[in-house]
Amino acid sequence: MNTHSIMVKANARAALLIAAIAVSPAAAQGLVAVKNGRVHTKDAVIEDAVVLIDNGRITKIGKQGEFEVPWEAKTVDATGKIVLPTFVLAHSQGGVRMANERMENVAFLTIADALDPASPFFEDCLRSGVGTVHAIPGNATLLGGAGIVVRPFGRTVPDMAVSTQTGLKLSLLPQGGGRLLQIRKLRRALDDAREYLADFDRRKAEFEKEQKAAAIDKDKKWTEEFDKTKKPVIDLVQKKTRGWLYVPGSAEVPEAMRLQQELDLVLVLGPQVHRAIEALKGVKNPVVLEETIEFFETDPETKKETKIRLAKLLADAGIPFALSLGAAAPSSYAWWQLASCVRQGVDKKIALSALTEVPAKLLSLDDQIGTLEVGKLANLQVLTGDPMQATSWVETVVLEGQVVYERSKDERLKYLLDAAAKPADASTSGSK
Amino acid sequence: MLRPVLTLISAFALSLQLTAQDVPVVWRGARVLTGVSTIDDAVLVASGGRIETIGGPATAVPAGSRIVEARGMVITPGLIDAAWNGGGALGLADQNEQSTEITPSLRVLDSLDPQDKAIARLRNQGVTTVHVMPGTRSVIGGLSAVLQTWGKDQDAMVLSSEAALRMTLGAEPSMGNRAIRGGTVDSVYYRRPTTRMGVIWSARRAFYDAKEALDESQSEARVARTAHERRDLEVLTRVLKGTLPMVTTARSEQDLRTALRLGAEFGYKPIVDEAQDAHAVATELLQAGVWVMVGAPSSTSVGGSGGQDGAEPRHATLLRLAAAGVPFVITTGTNPNALELVREAMFAHRFGLTHEQALAAVTAQPAKLLGLGDRKGTLKVGMDADFVLWSADPFDPASTPTSVVIGGVDTTSLQ
Repeated sequence: MNTHSIMVKANARAALLIAAIAVSPAAAQGLVAVKNGRVHTKDAVIEDAVVLIDNGRITKIGKQGEFEVPWEAKTVDATGKIVLPTFVLAHSQGGVRMANERMENVAFLTIADALDPASPFFEDCLRSGVGTVHAIPGNATLLGGAGIVVRPFGRTVPDMAVSTQTGLKLSLLPQGGGRLLQIRKLRRALDDAREYLADFDRRKAEFEKEQKAAAIDKDKKWTEEFDKTKKPVIDLVQKKTRGWLYVPGSAEVPEAMRLQQELDLVLVLGPQVHRAIEALKGVKNPVVLEETIEFFETDPETKKETKIRLAKLLADAGIPFALSLGAAAPSSYAWWQLASCVRQGVDKKIALSALTEVPAKLLSLDDQIGTLEVGKLANLQVLTGDPMQATSWVETVVLEGQVVYERSKDERLKYLLDAAAKPADASTSGSK
Repeated sequence: MLRPVLTLISAFALSLQLTAQDVPVVWRGARVLTGVSTIDDAVLVASGGRIETIGGPATAVPAGSRIVEARGMVITPGLIDAAWNGGGALGLADQNEQSTEITPSLRVLDSLDPQDKAIARLRNQGVTTVHVMPGTRSVIGGLSAVLQTWGKDQDAMVLSSEAALRMTLGAEPSMGNRAIRGGTVDSVYYRRPTTRMGVIWSARRAFYDAKEALDESQSEARVARTAHERRDLEVLTRVLKGTLPMVTTARSEQDLRTALRLGAEFGYKPIVDEAQDAHAVATELLQAGVWVMVGAPSSTSVGGSGGQDGAEPRHATLLRLAAAGVPFVITTGTNPNALELVREAMFAHRFGLTHEQALAAVTAQPAKLLGLGDRKGTLKVGMDADFVLWSADPFDPASTPTSVVIGGVDTTSLQ
């Protein structure tokens, strides 16, 4: 496997992905120089900067002329443009046709088996400057299966895979019952796993005891393994796996906060959590927001409408958050989501981190992606302008040193945008 | 006991309002996009509901005026939505009369609640004037209205109660209808067209009658008709005479061609509405000399209950109309995915219209289309003082309206 690619940790459940190690994607070898851009690094903005990439990783960042750019380096011209790390989606159901199994306790499933690499979603990701996507089962579940981190580029899921040890989807969204039933079912599933584990350990201890007492042949080995359908939940209760818990509204927040005491949880917040911001203050990990971060709430008595600004509420409470992108305009555009935060009064830096550093951290990939730093993966985007303006376009996307998107070669975008193209009615105009 | 107190209160409120309007108000320091030019550090004076003065920083401020500091703000004319679907103010059931497919003399105003929250919401988004039409489930749905989103009373909000007639083409007016195949007629849906062809035939039939009625008015012969039939035909003859605009909702290419064909056949000039496929017929639209209202250009889906119905929206639609020289406006239209009007214009700017073109398409152009060009849509001396103060450029996605002024009154402070 390529030394520069992120360690693909094989997951026993996803046999498919074990093969990924053998045929890890051939990222660009060699030198790439992104020149003359306005580069946003972790702590600074450097004008007329050069980002030097070797073997998929950033080796140098500095002002033009500060260091020599090897003559053989392939050039990506960013003159007059802005260079940012690619965006990271912490929780996405894009590129999946049915993100939920109809049965609700299916922790043994993995979303990897449902990803469609040919989905236009992944192309749109690149157009929006998204370079890393955590695909994970949807919210209509109880224990919904495992997620996978992919780059939105590649023909097969193993091609796209970045990391498979991303955790398990849990949801407090009622599935045909009430809120309490959902909580009880989740608790029951966790208790089942704990009981199974205790029983397993007890039997193993008994076996060892009997072996010691020579009741069992000395050479006989304990061969029993965990039930494969139960193993993911066991990992969860043992905090070996991270849970991604969907919290639909304020009423579920207290239960979510209790659950995070016993599990390693990331809370994925529905838009209706705004009344429980105070209760969320003790949250252990940064939270994930769904695409709706602004909406009107109507008072049932006075009918007065109040605008709820979720990003602002979280920022004011000092709770770090990751942003999501929606399926349709405008929330499908990263610039809109970022500008929406700013419109609400969130600091620009916090807004930008919600699509870069924070989700990278949530995916335990913050040593690899999320900022432009020497030693990290060369995942960057070249934008024509301010990442928070409607008039800006993603010009180029580089993933692990490989140019994977160029707007000048985006035929679908041209089809949608080109006013000069021959009208489609040219052949039928005589049909009146 | 209660009545005199209430009268006293309302008289007091009225006098307050009058003083507020009598004293000239000056907005100072903003960047004003007048629709004709851009004035930095501007002085904008409103008095008696109209713009009294507008100019650069050296412009004299009338004595005794109230001054509003607007430095850092951007002021644009109030936005005009030439095809607002009514929001919550018009439920779907109240929008579509389905007892019969041709109802020319229905008036949308009769089912609109001007006090509805949806109108206040719209106003807070910077929209000061709207054109509301009956829904798109009927072939000829009825008469539309033009409203201001604020007025000192309900009547003051209504600019026109019979602004235009709406016709809808495509499969939508035939949706849910059934042909009679034996049995008894137990549903109104048996009575309506069941195909796209049937929709157009229904429209034609109405126009044949209208033409006949028009001819009759010049001759002695009279066809026996009931009063309400005569009323329906009177509305349709106004279209034929060119005194009532015919808004024709047509989303797909073939429907757009049909809209033009029907106009040519009966001798009227349609206003084409929704028009997602206008990119494919820009030349024909130009030749026909018609206005085009493009619904929700940000979206790649179309509105109505007929699904895509053959339409293929493209981001280039507006740019192609602009390049061809076809006059157009941007509306929110029937699309449930439509964004706030200012964001629709922002997307149009993203997709290639210049800043001026995109802004004009939601201000000066719809004013002209609705016959209000001498009162609204641009900021000039003598025009209505309808404008919006934005926290930044209106096409900056982070911008938001901070004040919406209608007829010189800052409506934001009234809530």
